[in-house]
This record gives sequence, structure tokens and C-alpha cells, in this order.
Amino acid sequence: MALVTPETKLCDVIIEEPSVITVINRFGIALGVGDKSVRTICRQKDIDTNFFLTILNAYIYESFFPENGFDSFGAQEIIDYLKKTNQSYLRYQLPNIERHFKALIDHSDKNNNLPLLLNLYNEVKEEITKRIDNDNNHWFAEILRHEKDVNPGNLTIKASDADSTTDSIEDKLSDLKNMFVIHLRGDYDRNLCHAVLFAIISLEKDIRQNNRIRNHILYPLAMALKKASSNN
Amino acid sequence: MQTANIAVITRDTILAIGLKHLMRNLFNIKVSVYDSVEESQITELANNDLLITDSDGFSANSGFFIPRRSRTLIITSSEICDDSNGMLLNRYADEASLISQLTKAVDQSRDTPNTVNDLSQREIDVLSQVASGYTNKEIADNLNISVNTVLTHRKNITAKLGIKSVSGLSVYAMMNGYINSTLH
Repeated sequence: MALVTPETKLCDVIIEEPSVITVINRFGIALGVGDKSVRTICRQKDIDTNFFLTILNAYIYESFFPENGFDSFGAQEIIDYLKKTNQSYLRYQLPNIERHFKALIDHSDKNNNLPLLLNLYNEVKEEITKRIDNDNNHWFAEILRHEKDVNPGNLTIKASDADSTTDSIEDKLSDLKNMFVIHLRGDYDRNLCHAVLFAIISLEKDIRQNNRIRNHILYPLAMALKKASSNN
Repeated sequence: MQTANIAVITRDTILAIGLKHLMRNLFNIKVSVYDSVEESQITELANNDLLITDSDGFSANSGFFIPRRSRTLIITSSEICDDSNGMLLNRYADEASLISQLTKAVDQSRDTPNTVNDLSQREIDVLSQVASGYTNKEIADNLNISVNTVLTHRKNITAKLGIKSVSGLSVYAMMNGYINSTLH
């Protein structure tokens, strides 16, 4: 698929890459988009088209890097989007996996290793929650303080997982997925198991793609702000 | 269908002879019989698709059987089962159900040939150390190997299992009885 442009029909993007449904939701766009172009939908919803396209393309394409800079939008918009992303993990995606996982264990006999996989899931969940707390209390707050340039203080911004010595959330989710695919044993409820696995796979994908937005868009922007404030 | 390699490990001669004939007559499979697990035979034994032993044989060589319990069939005197992964065969069951369970075990070992998941003994050693929370440097010291060798083992373990993170490896190690699950 070619890069999404203002003229692209949003419905084509969704059909080609259904995982963007969660992204457009965070912009307040619900399904039933008709055959309107991205430009038209953004105008109707009062969304900055350039910002919407940047997020959408960064989400879809691994190597995408915004060329025309951050002229029309700032850190505030990106952070608002990432906050909505975090909320959707906490409110929907994580509880959804958990609910299905518990049902799966209840509906399967005891001859399997699912409870151990649930432990691994709980560990990942705890880390995601911790990262979100850190976003809200430190990362986002510091960047916004710098953007407003009101007594910024020291900026200790780091790219989210780049310097972390522990295993990344992405790695753990990928391990969890592989545990199901490669190492699952015994009898289990097939239907529920697939529901859990699909939910894990889409969470993994969403986190991986949003990490690109954190690391390729928000992080360079934060570094630029940092440089600007130290020049003053 | 591929032929399965089957080993019988028991000191019970009657049991060994019985199984040997049963396997030959029923499945046309020649089994190898061992009276115990000797250090020198471990590699040879580990190459089998199905290991059959009795409860005495299992408890005397639990270090060998526990990591391989998904392909170990234990002949017991009861049907009580507290081991989720192991296969049990009740020696007092009637002939029909005994043979049908044996057939199931043999079929299963044919379906899941012992390939992908099998880690070498050294990789298992490294895995259990990683899972117990040791650093690469500590593992190298504990096993008397270089840090580079530890890294190579870890790379191979990840390639074989598809698991990267320490948490994931710990769960895998618990699943397979390489470490005690109460650790976590």
C-alpha cells in the first residue's frame, strides 16, 4: 500500500490495514466512515490533517519518518494521542485479554500450562501499567513543560525503551505469543484460546507501532525542544 | 508414518520382556532395554521419541526424566495423576484399555518427533541459570565457561525456543521442570 495522503479514502486504509481501527478511534472516528477522503473526514472532525497522516503513516510503515517536520502540530497533540492510546490499553485491551484468559483457564481442564502463561501476561501487564504511570508523571509532563517554556528545569527525556537494560515490553509480548504458538500443551478451549491469542497479537502490534510514534516522532521533537531551551 | 525410537528403562525383567514383545507384535517396533540411566548412555537415551519406565526407574533417575516428561510413559500401580505433563499407564488396568493407552502413547511419539524443542544438556544448564536470575558473568563462573560461550548458548536457546526475555525463559523452564516453580 502507498503512503496515506489527504486524498486517500479512509475506508481503503482500514480495509487494507484493519489494525488502524484502534488508531482512528483515538481520533474520535468511528467505523462507518463512508467513502470519504482523509481530508474531508479530518475537516468534519476538526482534526489536523497533517498530524493525522503523520500518526497513521508512522503506525503503518516501519521506516516512515515525517518529512515536512512538525510545522502544524506540536508535542501537545502527540501526547494527547499517546495518552488516549495508553487509556485504551488500560480500559479495553488489557482487561479484554484478562477476561478471556481467565475464562480460558476456567473452561479448560487442568492438564496444560496456561496458568504459567497467565503469570507471564500479568508481568507484562504490570510493566505496561508502570510505563503508563511514568508517561503521565514524568515523560509527558516534562516535554510539555519544555514546549511551554515556563521554567523548564532539567530535561531528563529518554526514548522510551532505548536505553533500558531489562527486556522490553515488546519482547515479552512476543514471547507470550510464541509460548502459545510453539509451546502450548494439553487440552484447552480452542475458541477462547484463539480469542486470547488474537488479542495478545493485536496488543503486541499496537504497542510496537505506537513505539515508533514515541521514538520517531515524540522523541526527536523532545530533543529539539531540549536543544532550543539550552540555547536560550 | 515414521518409526518411533522407543526405550524401556526398568530393572523389572518381566516388565521389560513383556513390553519388548508387545511393541514388536503390536507396532513392529524394536525397543531398546536399559536397566538404569548411566551417564555414558544419556545422549543415546535422549534420542528416543518415547521413554517407558516404571515408578522405581523414574524416581531413581528423576534428573533425566523430569526434563523429558512430555515423552515419558510411567508404568504405575494406580491411576492417580498429579503430574500434568507426564503420561501414566496403570499396570493393573484391563488388557483392552492398557493396549489402547499404549497405542496412544506410541502414536503421540510418532506425531511429535523429538526435534525443535530439544535443548542440549549444556543449554538446559544455562537456561536454568538464566531462569534462576543469574547474570551472564555469574553463569559463566558457575559453569566454568566463558561469557562468550554463555552468550552463544543463550542465542541458540532463543533460536530453538522462540523466547527472548528472561521472564519468558523462566516460564519455559518452569513448564519443563528445569527449575522449581516456587522460585517465582
